[in-house]
Amino acid sequence: MRDERDDRPEDERDPADDLRAADPDAVDGEAVDGDAADGAGGVSRRDFLKGLGVGGGVVGAGLLAARAAGAAAQAGPRRLGPGPVSISLLVNGRSRTLSVEPRVTLLDALRDRLELTGAKEVCDRGSCGACTVLVDGRPVYACMMLALDARGRAITTIEGIGTPEKPHPIQSAFVEKDALQCGYCTPGFVVAARALLESRPSPTLDEVREGLAGHVCRCGAYTRVCEAVLAAAGRKGGVS
Amino acid sequence: MSETRRIRIGENGRLEEVEVVVPDGEPAIWDADARLSVVGTAVSRLDGLAKASGRARYTSDVRLPGMLHGRILRSPHPHARIAAIDATAAERLRGVRAVLTFERPDAFAAIAETDEAGKAVEGDAKAPAAGTRSLLYAGDEVAAVAAVSADVAEDALRLVKVRYDILPHVTDLEGARRPDAPPVFPGGNVRPAAVRKRGDIEAGFAQAAVVVEGIWRTPVALHNALETHGAVAAWKDGALTVWAATQGVFGCRDDLAKFFGIEAAKVRVVSEYLGGGFGAKFGAGIAAVVAAMLARKAGAPVRLMLDRAEESLATGNRPSTVQSLRVGAAADGTLTAIHLRSYGTGGIAGGAGCGGPVWNIYACPNVLVEEQDVHTNAGPAAPFRAPGYPQGSFALESALDDLAGRLGLDPLALRRRNYIAKPAKALETQYALASRAIGWDRRPQLGTAGGQDGRLRRGLGLGTAMWPMYGGPPADARVTIHSDGTVECACGTQDIGTGTRTAMAVIVAEVLGVRPAAVRVSLGDTAIGLYSPASGGSVTLNSILPAVRAAAEGAKTKFLAAVAPALGAAPGDLDLAGGEVRTRDGARRMPFAQAAARLRTTVAAAQASRVPNYPGRGIELFGAQFAEVVVDTWTGRVRVVRIAAAHDCGRVVDRLTAESQVCGGVVMGLSTALLEERVIDHDTGLVLNANLEDYKLAGTLEMPEIVPILTDVYDPANNVGVKGLGEPPIVPTAAAIANAVSHAIGRRVRELPITPARVLDLLARPAEA
Repeated sequence: MRDERDDRPEDERDPADDLRAADPDAVDGEAVDGDAADGAGGVSRRDFLKGLGVGGGVVGAGLLAARAAGAAAQAGPRRLGPGPVSISLLVNGRSRTLSVEPRVTLLDALRDRLELTGAKEVCDRGSCGACTVLVDGRPVYACMMLALDARGRAITTIEGIGTPEKPHPIQSAFVEKDALQCGYCTPGFVVAARALLESRPSPTLDEVREGLAGHVCRCGAYTRVCEAVLAAAGRKGGVS
Repeated sequence: MSETRRIRIGENGRLEEVEVVVPDGEPAIWDADARLSVVGTAVSRLDGLAKASGRARYTSDVRLPGMLHGRILRSPHPHARIAAIDATAAERLRGVRAVLTFERPDAFAAIAETDEAGKAVEGDAKAPAAGTRSLLYAGDEVAAVAAVSADVAEDALRLVKVRYDILPHVTDLEGARRPDAPPVFPGGNVRPAAVRKRGDIEAGFAQAAVVVEGIWRTPVALHNALETHGAVAAWKDGALTVWAATQGVFGCRDDLAKFFGIEAAKVRVVSEYLGGGFGAKFGAGIAAVVAAMLARKAGAPVRLMLDRAEESLATGNRPSTVQSLRVGAAADGTLTAIHLRSYGTGGIAGGAGCGGPVWNIYACPNVLVEEQDVHTNAGPAAPFRAPGYPQGSFALESALDDLAGRLGLDPLALRRRNYIAKPAKALETQYALASRAIGWDRRPQLGTAGGQDGRLRRGLGLGTAMWPMYGGPPADARVTIHSDGTVECACGTQDIGTGTRTAMAVIVAEVLGVRPAAVRVSLGDTAIGLYSPASGGSVTLNSILPAVRAAAEGAKTKFLAAVAPALGAAPGDLDLAGGEVRTRDGARRMPFAQAAARLRTTVAAAQASRVPNYPGRGIELFGAQFAEVVVDTWTGRVRVVRIAAAHDCGRVVDRLTAESQVCGGVVMGLSTALLEERVIDHDTGLVLNANLEDYKLAGTLEMPEIVPILTDVYDPANNVGVKGLGEPPIVPTAAAIANAVSHAIGRRVRELPITPARVLDLLARPAEA
């Protein structure tokens, strides 16, 4: 749906599509599989906000509120914002309450309000993968999702995957293979690799390359990133 | 005073003994005979898990209590003057704490520009004489705001009312060279050519049996380090602390001290982790200065990180080039003359010279290089990994392949005939190893010339790397052995992703006989007080590691003297290895930590300074890269299949991170060859791809197999024998790929990037001989 809509000129679009875009299930900036993996697919946040009109946060949040109340549409959109709204997010297994304006992205909420700075802001429009987090187990570009849309969903950031003291096998493999240099893209790669290996425990090299194609590493660690993911996949006992 | 030592130098088993004069007290030189147990092995990055777990704290991750967020308003016009500016509404917006406007001509006059070594060069290209400030490119700084959030700051920027007097602009290189072009600076856009010459090119061309010539073009490219430029600034009692995304904490400190008119001791710059720099992050830059200005005005810490568009417009780029190159050779391939005339634009800055390869890589007695900067209304250039070299290499290596074709010589044979002779060079070894890795023997059977006429055509190409810069003093380091057995190494340098932290630990581990992971490394902070040059130009390790080693040796001497009584031995009979203090005969041993507990003081510590390079030793870096490509003649797409990259960095310190450095340079070079180009619409003067979806960077799908080959070269100009490795791996990659594509399709590639459209355009022409 997403790509079809995106390819059409704006005046040919069905407004219902834009409303559907406000449904959180429809707005996942997938970092790994398929169409979004080429870095060009998917809805940019700008398009998304534009599609919703000026009061994007208002409409989106209203729909969400209605959905949460289990009373879709009848009640009509409830106005939220533009000032700060109190929300709860389930991050790394913990419920966190914070106050955000409806326009705040999940990435900014994580980095600026919850001080989870592992996910990085690099392009801020879904082209580089540095901000990848898991939402309900699926990789999402956190710069492409509003914090409000992440309510009620399980969010896993790089901080929830492993620690320096107790690293995840993927993280250990990245260090052993030297699959990083400056390290700024690394959290995004690790999160995406984890999702990749969950869905495909024994990928081929080509599958790893496809799966991580939505991520940019300016230091050029790609070949070693792929080696690290393959090494982690080959570990006895799996990697989850 | 100095003393003379005899050392053995060479590479690949070809060793010779030479004398070097070194300062008194210099540690034993690690020459070809040194037997080392940690140095040269593959050591995992000390900070690898901090990075892979998201715990490493970069400048962009710094959060201080009460911290505000800054944003900069930038010119929407490529050339304009600020006629009037009214920030009242922005100041009144709820949540705004400080607003600055930059209409004064000298707003940023005190910010010096820096060269690739991080040294200040001509300052203030941007200040006109009088009146209000001219904005010289779309993206030039107009105003700045600090507010409680980045979103509110962004709202405030929209409330700043600016009236611009729009001036005529020029952004295209050729247009800017016309006499009637709008001047970017008073005095015209075309700067005087920089001329270098040796020998007599007319005589050289007269001697030539064959002369080839052509014009090659390369575009403006963007650094696009993933962490943007930016800083977090906090003032307290007249002193300034800045966490900065910088490649040089000391240069950044000095710039800030100068700008704010305070002594350097009152400025502390911290950069514990940096998300890439590639040459664009020397000095404070405008972002750090504005962050500190806002923080001072607001009376609160300010975080100012640029966004991707700003990063693309205003923080640096690699200048474009147009290179007219003429090369002559004798019938046997010996070069007789090279003449390069080039021009290019680094926007409002200079730096478009690209004559380094012509001047430095091959031995040719008669060379004339004329390089010219052309100003345009575009963002300023900055040093970009091996400034000038990838561009110059592309033209030179292309011309050499043309020459080989005309002479009926193998392109590798032509290079072998002409490569520059230097002490302990490894080029012959590198050509041999890398050509074998790529399967160069197949070349006559490949490409259009080899009879391939199907849809997919395979080609091979090569290029030679050379980089002439090298570190030296000043650089200081301290090594401390604590009585609890911990070991610390400190130097105020920075690790920009190259592995500096780990390399420091490797040296200390070698000297003290402990594991690298057991060494605590402190860096990235001017408060450490131990100087290091900026990390650029491949000068970090070869500047600081000799000081680290000398400090480690000093600490070792003190430590052994202190613990010798406990082992009942003379200090001279003791050594450190395998985590133990041992007598040289191995009869008596004591674990390192246990020995440390015998220290009567709390520490055994030593500080040391880098001594000058030993005279007469080779400091140049060499390498050779070979590329194999497959060109789809239907779509024009180029797939790079494999790149074999042989390089030398003197003595390898950490094989793992050194190989990563080689692979990384190759990837960046591949991206340069096939994808990267900043695009400006010349009518509006606006950059069209100031983002990461339209400015294409190579990703996993473009990755070839990369074969990094590190050749050990022992020619120590310092006690470690380490050279650098940051720049050389990007130097010949684009050239090797372009030559491989030309070989595959039988037409000479003359412009980067090698897009499908350009390949199809070439294929529409007749095949060349």
